[in-house]
Amino acid sequence: MLVEPELITRAREGDDGAFNQVVQAYRKRILGTIARLIGRPEDVEDVGQEVFLRLYYSLDQLRSPEVFEPWLYRLTVNSAYDYLRRHRRRPEARMADLSEQQVIMADAAAGARKDQDDQRRGRIRDTVSALMSAVSEQDRILLTLKEIEGLSLKELEKVYGVNENALKVRLFRARQRVLKLFEASAHKTTGAGV
Amino acid sequence: MSQDRNASADGLETLFAAYREACPDPEAGGDFMPRLWQKIEARRAFSYSLKRLARGVITAAAAAALVMALLLAPQHRVTPSYLELLAAGQSHDNIADTEIVQSSYENPR
Repeated sequence: MLVEPELITRAREGDDGAFNQVVQAYRKRILGTIARLIGRPEDVEDVGQEVFLRLYYSLDQLRSPEVFEPWLYRLTVNSAYDYLRRHRRRPEARMADLSEQQVIMADAAAGARKDQDDQRRGRIRDTVSALMSAVSEQDRILLTLKEIEGLSLKELEKVYGVNENALKVRLFRARQRVLKLFEASAHKTTGAGV
Repeated sequence: MSQDRNASADGLETLFAAYREACPDPEAGGDFMPRLWQKIEARRAFSYSLKRLARGVITAAAAAALVMALLLAPQHRVTPSYLELLAAGQSHDNIADTEIVQSSYENPR
């Protein structure tokens, strides 16, 4: 935990100063998660504000400070999900983008060149966004939390409130869908290159 | 085929790792906290006015119920049942009888 449980308790009891400290401790991490979940830097702060607004008005429902982090992740997931549903893009349009970015994807897959070039980073972001846009919001969020955020199955279990086996099945299916798209786009690239 | 699959899975994993690096945790803008508190206050004000409105509606409903009760209650009282009417008529007769008996006793002919 990034803060002491007592601080959470004080914030839950209505101490605005304590709430401020909690937000300041977690906002960078939460904004990072949101950035990777939604893939649009310009809207990250707005979604982050929504997360902390929901936190403020639901903190009194928190059972104990020990479950604060999964609780905060759940609020983050819900806010990101709402955002993605509101800003849903047509998959066919995104698939077109995807085929244009195969060279970059091959670079990332090779992993040999890890330059810090902003343009390259931007393209990697666009590639992953394009891949993720082609699957459902649920798959996108679950995969991002597991594969990109690096949450363990135990942590995901607490966030989602479902058992590990159900999560494994969902993760496997989501991964297969994205993998299929990844392969299809790779084939398209090699086909186009010939 | 299986080798291709594994290569693709590895490629996807690498892409995700590259994405993680390409999207570092951003710093919040300087107005993040003030904007958040503005939103909290706005929602608090909204829920306060909603509570006031709800309380007003409840008070008005209670007042209306009271007025209705007052208006309807006398009407209910002036429509006695058949038995009540009968009982009232009988007691009236008794009084009349008593008066007749009394008057004939007081003024014997």
